[in-house]
Amino acid sequence: MASRNPAVMDPILEARGVQKWYPNGYHALRGVDLTVHRGEVVVIMGPSGSGKSTFIRTFNALEDFQQGSITIDGLSINEDTRNIEAIRREVGMVFQQFNLFPHLSVLDNLTLAPVLVRKRAKAQVEREALELLERVGIGEQAHKFPGQLSGGQQQRVAIARSLCMEPRLMLFDEPTSALDPEMVQEVLEVMQELAADGMTMVVVTHEVRFARNVASRVVLMAEGEVVEIAPPEQFFTAPSHPRTQQFLQQIG
Amino acid sequence: MPALLSPLGPAPSRWKRLRSELFGSRVDGLISIALGAALVAIAFGLLKWTLFQAQWAVIQANSTLFAVGRYPIEQQWRLWLLTALLAAATGLSWGLLRALPRDQPSGQRWPFNDRLAAGVLVALALAVPLWLQLSLAIQLRWWGITALVLVLRWALARWGSDVPRRIQRLVPLLWPGLYLVGMVLISGGLGLIQVAPAQWGGLLLTLVASSFAILLCFPLGLVLALGRRSELPLLRWGSVVYIEFIRGAPLITLLFLGQNILGFLLPGGLAPDRVWRAAWVLTFFAAAYVAEALRSGLAAVPRGQLEAAQSLGMTMPQSLVQVVLPQALRVALPAVVGQFITLLQDTTLLSLIGLLDLLGTARAVMANPAFLGKSAEVYLVLAVLFWGCCAALGLGSRALETRLNPSEQARYQR
Ligand SMILES: Nc1ncnc2c1ncn2[C@@H]1O[C@H](COP(=O)(O)OP(=O)(O)OP(=O)(O)O)[C@@H](O)[C@H]1O
Ligand SMILES: [Mg+2]
Repeated sequence: MASRNPAVMDPILEARGVQKWYPNGYHALRGVDLTVHRGEVVVIMGPSGSGKSTFIRTFNALEDFQQGSITIDGLSINEDTRNIEAIRREVGMVFQQFNLFPHLSVLDNLTLAPVLVRKRAKAQVEREALELLERVGIGEQAHKFPGQLSGGQQQRVAIARSLCMEPRLMLFDEPTSALDPEMVQEVLEVMQELAADGMTMVVVTHEVRFARNVASRVVLMAEGEVVEIAPPEQFFTAPSHPRTQQFLQQIG
Repeated sequence: MPALLSPLGPAPSRWKRLRSELFGSRVDGLISIALGAALVAIAFGLLKWTLFQAQWAVIQANSTLFAVGRYPIEQQWRLWLLTALLAAATGLSWGLLRALPRDQPSGQRWPFNDRLAAGVLVALALAVPLWLQLSLAIQLRWWGITALVLVLRWALARWGSDVPRRIQRLVPLLWPGLYLVGMVLISGGLGLIQVAPAQWGGLLLTLVASSFAILLCFPLGLVLALGRRSELPLLRWGSVVYIEFIRGAPLITLLFLGQNILGFLLPGGLAPDRVWRAAWVLTFFAAAYVAEALRSGLAAVPRGQLEAAQSLGMTMPQSLVQVVLPQALRVALPAVVGQFITLLQDTTLLSLIGLLDLLGTARAVMANPAFLGKSAEVYLVLAVLFWGCCAALGLGSRALETRLNPSEQARYQR
């Protein structure tokens, strides 16, 4: 699939000059800008410790920041808890460690938030959850517990759990890094299908093939800054910044 | 249901394993025989003493005192009523549990354990009133109460699965409701004559004080544990100071302090009676320990769990209640119940501040010249009573632990 150029340039996420210091004084984000348009898949790459996780986690306020602004679908992130909760309802997140709720069945993992947060009828949510599980290829496992599933299956459940909230933006922080190699593909396929369905996604990953095939744009972060943003063909074949060239060489 | 028993392994192999464990080598064998002989000798001696040498008149003459203290005789019907209600609730819950399907591994021992429990209950109901030489009227009451438990258990086991789920779900609510009813029945009010706490005693006082403290120390401990992990400095430091202060002081000093201080601290009418002061001190004391147990449970839940819950839009309270606490509780439960058991035993300290709990009653009885030198009998009965209460707590906790176990949960949810 070629990289997509969204027909309408309709920004869903705008980060402007974001700076973050960790409580120990470490300057993790040094003025980062990023705009993500509706329907885009933005892949963030970069060396370890460059601030990718920190950056993507500011989008749903799991990390705070001290300077700059982030606006998500018209709501700007601030101290107001209600505002933050409203943003989190619309933004799904998939973690490296899956973070499924081990004390709940797979089905309950999916239905918990929609019932609790969106106040929807349990029966209806359950029907949709089963459909979603079917879609990510684990319909038969609905009544098992997370601990009984393989890593790849757990990550697909985690994706379905986020989707069950019907988010407008999905964040992925290295979704395949904790997986055994033979399970990486099944998760990437689910993500690729999701992208094909038009979901807006920001993905931190080291999977070059995924970035080449699915991304609209690829971002390189280094030392807490965005160094380069380019469509994948250009990013991987003719990067403009020497830091990008160096990074591409390192990952081979 | 013979098919269910097979996974436990047929009896012979268990014998074989036992034999290989006890008599693995010659030294093992000698040690086993020596220890076995010592155990038999001790058991035999104890049995001989209990049956032939001990003089149980001290218990028989004071059984009412041990049970309820100086609770006025003309009001004791209220306690009988409460006992009957408790028996009914027990029978209902027990029968309903029997009616639930049990197909998981832990359920396999259930039919056996269940019959064993019923057997023990019947044996106790028959033997104890006779042994205590209770009057026929009172014996009949105990038999009636036992029959109530067993009949309800039988009826619910038989027809319980036909009861609609909606009503089944209400049965656990019986217990908190019954607790409130019990408090009214015991202390009076709502048209009943007041019976001052000073007149409660024996097992009644021990159970009221400990159940009150156990029920309240848990939520209080939870608040303290969450406070200690909070990001608000005032809350955090407040919790730390409280927990460390309480854990640094012996309970008995706090009990004495409480008798004096609570009187000053609270305005006249609000200052609770001596018994309640002690119960509150027990509560505040246990809360600090429960908080520490819960804190270790909270620490065992990975940070990612809270983050996942919040990233789904759940509020902090929702995330805590639905995601973090169930997991933390499962880890902390054994330690928390251990704390409850300690608390139950700590109620004996009430005797040192002049209250007539089980131990206080015992000391009062032993001070009576008529029963001089009968302390062994009295202490043995006390030990057995406390052991019974603690064993019940332990069994309950183990059942709850299984229930909180994710893979065991499937059967409750299906
Ligand atoms: N809680 C924290 N306190 C202090 N410094 C932190 C904290 N978390 C992260 N850092 C530092 O911030 C920098 C960026 O971390 P971040 O996790 O965002 O990197 P990353 O690009 O996601 O790396 P990786 O590819 O290894 O996941 C790192 O140098 C890290 O050591
Ligand atoms: Mg990272």
